[in-house]
Amino acid sequence: MNQHTLRITAHNQPTVLERLLQVTRYRGFSVTGMTMFPSNESNLLDIELSVSSEHSIEHLNHQLSKLFDINDVVIDGKSSQQNSA
Amino acid sequence: MVSEKKETGGSVLFKVMQQHGVEHVFGYPGGAIMPIYDALYDSNIQHFLCRHEQGAAFSAVGYARASGKVGVCLATSGPGATNLITGLADALADSIPVVAITGQVPMVAMGSDAFQEVDIFGLSLACTKHSFQVRDVNDLAKTLHQAFAIALEGRQGPVLVDIPKDIQTAEVEFAVALASNLAKKEAAPSANLGTALTLLSQAKSPILYVGGGVGMAEAVPELREFMAATNIPSVATLKGLGAVNPEHEFYLGMLGMHGTKAANIAVQQSDLLIAVGARFDDRVTGKLAEFAPNAKVIHLEIDRAEINKRRFADAAILGDLKINLPALTMSLDIDSWRQHCSVMKHDFAWDYNHPGETIFAPAVLKEVSDLMPKNTVVTTDVGQHQMWAAQHMSFNDPSNFLTSGSMGTMGFGVPAAIGAQISRPDDTVIAVSGDGSFMMNVQELSTIKRFQLPVKIVLIDNEKLGMVRQWQDLFFNGRLSETDLADNPDFVMLANAFDIKAKKITKKEEVTQAIEEMLAHQGPYLLQVKIDAADNVWPLVPPNTANHKMMENR
Repeated sequence: MNQHTLRITAHNQPTVLERLLQVTRYRGFSVTGMTMFPSNESNLLDIELSVSSEHSIEHLNHQLSKLFDINDVVIDGKSSQQNSA
Repeated sequence: MVSEKKETGGSVLFKVMQQHGVEHVFGYPGGAIMPIYDALYDSNIQHFLCRHEQGAAFSAVGYARASGKVGVCLATSGPGATNLITGLADALADSIPVVAITGQVPMVAMGSDAFQEVDIFGLSLACTKHSFQVRDVNDLAKTLHQAFAIALEGRQGPVLVDIPKDIQTAEVEFAVALASNLAKKEAAPSANLGTALTLLSQAKSPILYVGGGVGMAEAVPELREFMAATNIPSVATLKGLGAVNPEHEFYLGMLGMHGTKAANIAVQQSDLLIAVGARFDDRVTGKLAEFAPNAKVIHLEIDRAEINKRRFADAAILGDLKINLPALTMSLDIDSWRQHCSVMKHDFAWDYNHPGETIFAPAVLKEVSDLMPKNTVVTTDVGQHQMWAAQHMSFNDPSNFLTSGSMGTMGFGVPAAIGAQISRPDDTVIAVSGDGSFMMNVQELSTIKRFQLPVKIVLIDNEKLGMVRQWQDLFFNGRLSETDLADNPDFVMLANAFDIKAKKITKKEEVTQAIEEMLAHQGPYLLQVKIDAADNVWPLVPPNTANHKMMENR
């Protein structure tokens, strides 16, 4: 299984988290961690999403990037491939 | 500031629709959408009352696909909204621009398990491109503008807007604002054009793999110019049918599970696949690891997420086909490959020889195709008749063949034909259906009656769920579980009950005259065509098998 962390900037809509998690699950990724930081100044939300999957993280990146309320997705450079039992 | 006239939320809805050029909507009223229907009463927009919200959703899909405009459907909260879901899933899967408006219980009641309350926003997440729930009437106009813009931008798709009842009645100052601009969502076009040009110039046996994206991008002229310049052999997906001129010398027809033998063999033998608005769907590729095993891939796409999703692209060209297809134009030195494809096309041409008296559905559909007026819209349902229509009918534009491709939704054909007929009143519209699918939205015959729509229905009747029965025979040891429909109603009487003229034919010699009579009839018409229940769709690539290992009629 590959572990990755995505840094996501989203519009802080009441519905954005649900959609983000729905796409993540449907595309075959398990959420292993999630933190969010609402911005004080703007209507933006910074989300750190850790996922594991056998699929390419690029696949999830592109699917999330398409979402209307998501501004930006960056794959964390420190992410590493780990073998899990 | 001078205030604008106060409007209700319901009235704002129709004003915004008019700004987007909406003339026709499909729907069904109910409690939580009554203020919107009250506002409709004063609107110039024409509403078509369907007899089930699923019918309204499919009519909106058919309308959008036949016209290139956004299709609009309306439903009330709870069951009205959930009945739209199948149509929205179908629109998402086939990338069709639809805006669905649902009524919702008043905001004070939301979250209280109120009468006819369902979380349609939550339900819509997996079957829309985007969805909104309006919680402030001041946001309503902007949200609706966004909904229309999202439905059409990039890869098209359905958008749902859920509007609580008190938002529909709330008053708001409505300024005639222009549609808001969308924040640019599309990735900047990127192209590996140099690599693509090199691959194309070096290819000995290239083939064009044409998908539904060509029609969605309105790039049919660019595709045909590219084909005229390159004279490249081509194949099409189910949703790509009509994009290629069917008379093109090196066009081999549909590929995939029920594709032509020539198309599937040529793709397997090719050394370069140029995928244009296509996504390597499992019904196209068969066993993915053995699909076009020696081919490099140039992938022209609007959706970044489709690149490398199922097949690695040696050159990916992201963006508008109308710009990117011409950029690839060159003359190709592939004479022997063209001749090889041409020979296969003739050697493996369809055989309409069918012994006995019973009617052969492929021959009927071929004849309908030959006799129907130019620019006829054909819709289908799902199953054997759908694949026979795809194989044996010819279309000169993708907007003339409307079929539920990715979702494979039975019950699509009749309501989609209703939407198509309303969007194109001067063109002939024919719904090709099967006796299983037809019954799934049969209530929409009432919509045909109500609006006197001259839709023609060709009902291919084998008293079976034919495609499932075929698979039971081939892959489930002939155990015919729940696929017999011998107790179907009398379809002629059924049609007559809706004031639809109808005729049943059972013998080959009746076919030509019956088709001519149907096409000459001014109003709606149902032609029931009885066929031999043992007839199968051939060729067939079995599941998880390479496309050249197709099963054929023997």
